[in-house]
Amino acid sequence: MNSKSLLLIRTLLLSTDQINIYKHTDDKKKKSKIRLAYLGTVILYMMILGYLLVMTIGYGKMGIINTAPALCSMTLSLLAFIFTFLKTNGYLFNFKEYDMLMSLPFESKTVAACKFIYMYIKSLPWYLSISVAMLISYAYFVRPSFIIYPMWIILTFVVPVIPMLIASFIGFIIAKIGSGFKKTNLVQTIFTMVIILFFFFLRFFIEKIVREGEIETTLENTADLTLKSVKLFPPAYWFSKAVTDTDLLCAFLLMAVSALLFAGVFYIVGRSYRKINSALKNHAASKDYDEKELRKRSIEVTIAFKELKRMTGSTVYMTNVAIGVILSTVMGIIALIAGFDKIVKTVTQGAPIDTKILWVAIPFFAYFFIGMISTSAISPSLEGKNYWIVKSLPIDKRRLYRGKMLFNMWLTVPFMVLTVIMLAISAGVPFLNTILYVIEGIILCAFSSAWGCVCGIKHMRLDWENEIEVIKQSAAVAIYMFPNMLGNMGLIVLVIYLGLKTDANIVMTVLIFITLLLAFISYKRAMRLADRSF
Amino acid sequence: MSDKAMLEIKNYSKSYGGDKKAADDVSLTVMSGDIYGFIGHNGAGKSTTIRAVVGVLEFTEGEIYIDGHSVKDEEMECKNVTAYIPDNPDLYENLTGTQYLNFIADVFDISEQKRKESIKRYADMFEITDSLGDLISSYSHGMKQKVAIISALIHEPKLLVLDEPFVGLDPKAAYTLKEIMHEMCDKGTAIFFSTHVLDVAEKLCNKVAIIKQGKIIASGSMEELTKGQSLEERFLEVANEQ
Repeated sequence: MNSKSLLLIRTLLLSTDQINIYKHTDDKKKKSKIRLAYLGTVILYMMILGYLLVMTIGYGKMGIINTAPALCSMTLSLLAFIFTFLKTNGYLFNFKEYDMLMSLPFESKTVAACKFIYMYIKSLPWYLSISVAMLISYAYFVRPSFIIYPMWIILTFVVPVIPMLIASFIGFIIAKIGSGFKKTNLVQTIFTMVIILFFFFLRFFIEKIVREGEIETTLENTADLTLKSVKLFPPAYWFSKAVTDTDLLCAFLLMAVSALLFAGVFYIVGRSYRKINSALKNHAASKDYDEKELRKRSIEVTIAFKELKRMTGSTVYMTNVAIGVILSTVMGIIALIAGFDKIVKTVTQGAPIDTKILWVAIPFFAYFFIGMISTSAISPSLEGKNYWIVKSLPIDKRRLYRGKMLFNMWLTVPFMVLTVIMLAISAGVPFLNTILYVIEGIILCAFSSAWGCVCGIKHMRLDWENEIEVIKQSAAVAIYMFPNMLGNMGLIVLVIYLGLKTDANIVMTVLIFITLLLAFISYKRAMRLADRSF
Repeated sequence: MSDKAMLEIKNYSKSYGGDKKAADDVSLTVMSGDIYGFIGHNGAGKSTTIRAVVGVLEFTEGEIYIDGHSVKDEEMECKNVTAYIPDNPDLYENLTGTQYLNFIADVFDISEQKRKESIKRYADMFEITDSLGDLISSYSHGMKQKVAIISALIHEPKLLVLDEPFVGLDPKAAYTLKEIMHEMCDKGTAIFFSTHVLDVAEKLCNKVAIIKQGKIIASGSMEELTKGQSLEERFLEVANEQ
């Protein structure tokens, strides 16, 4: 790595560093937002650290702490792969300052490699939180030799590299294929989805192979499964072996292969880098003039259409918001083909459960995927520099945000209804119950739209450099997602429990009213925030 | 004027996958010391040509040489002597003006003494010295344009490529830029720029090319091209002829 690469990495980091903004702005509101965002991030790191600490202490008490290195390497590898894959388009390709950077004396492969390293450095605090938590428990229970501590920490920096490179390379192949088509974004999104689904199901497939012959699920079996799985991915195995057996050869292998792969990947990516970005940044001239597009619509519908175009114009945006609705639909289709019982058995790993007691949770199962992300949490910040357009138009702020919520409803309601119906049919749920589940599903979508809008307006950030900062890393998304997902998981447990105690339809009816109330409160809050938004 | 070709575009064509070519067999030569204007309607192919020249846009048809080096094969040699100012510069908004200019100076390996002098000189000329410590995100469009211009000037390029450089500049800054362009041209720098402001092109350029639907429909020295008419009249005449 030469001095120019270091210079570029330093500048990339500085250009998205909130401390730099803090130092150079006089805007007190902005400063306070930055302080809060930092505090929130630190709390989040601590929560992850705490959660994993508790989990691995549990492992220690159960006597299976020896799986901690394998679990650590597998978790880091998996997260590194997923996060990188979802960010490649936007960080490595099709980024905003492409023209500026490529006109400077940097080689194509240098720009690509520096963007990758930037992505890696930005993710490191997450990986370190996970790894340090596991190291603490492992050290407490196993008392390994002193050399293990620096080795574990050093290798934590290395273990995400290979999965990140694999994810980047797949992203590169997809970008390369997509760049050959006129509908670049659509093609890229489809390929990205196919890959995500492939890896999603690969997990179950691997589990099936590894578990061959085992029926009963115990914690010991899970530990055994982790140890067997880690052997399927050599870099994770090398990490695990290096820190368990003080195997220096494995440590060397991990570092050497990472370095070689890094050089190889960016040699290949660099050769087509300009070609791909040229194709992604430009569109073929079209002679289509469609008068149908000039139809009169209400402001809310117009805004919703604008959001639709914004989403379909960005692979990163489309991939991140479509993942939930696609996974839920796939779950519904599989349930129809294989049966509801089969899905429950896969998730519960064969535990003997009467699936009837789970019926009442069907809308919440669907919401687990569909409500994962809300476009209304993202779209206020995504206006970015174009915020002046909606701001300068005679649009009532309430109607503007109602339009944004409407778009989220357009996106989620059809998939929610479809998934709930498919799950209900596969489970043999009676008609009346199905109707109640569909109603609950739709209200959950309304809640997601309104709650998302609250987070989106309250934590609006327009001065982003890359839309990934908004879609994947913004405070609005984190504050929307975590309570929403945890609340949903809590509700699943609660409805199943209450369904056992009383008539499930009564439970569902009560929940419908509670969710409706929550959606209404969120909507009202969103409207108040809309009035106050600048 | 020197007789050294600083930019040579030979039979350059570019299509974005559709039936229409955005640039179609474009050929022109900018000599050292030339101020070469590139004019045409919106969507005529000006930016497509300029982006290929500065190494941002991949192309397969034709050749482009900067200071004798091929843009396709000798990327770094070309970029080291070129500066580019896009029509809507995407700078790093969360850096201060000073931080951004320092980054560019580092990229071109400019000594501390020289960068201080250059930045001070040009910042004073464009009257933004006091704002350089502020974040670029707080700048107006014109101020961002001024920072982009300064970043292009501090490494004394042999070829300066500008896409609509006068858009967003206040009258004083536009005048200053024109003065700087003359000064650079006197020192032997070649300047290639696109513009819609024909009056400016007429007064500033010694050579001009008119592009329409991707094709060069007229080019040459200002005198040859205008033939006693104003550039505006000649442009409209040529554009309507085709």
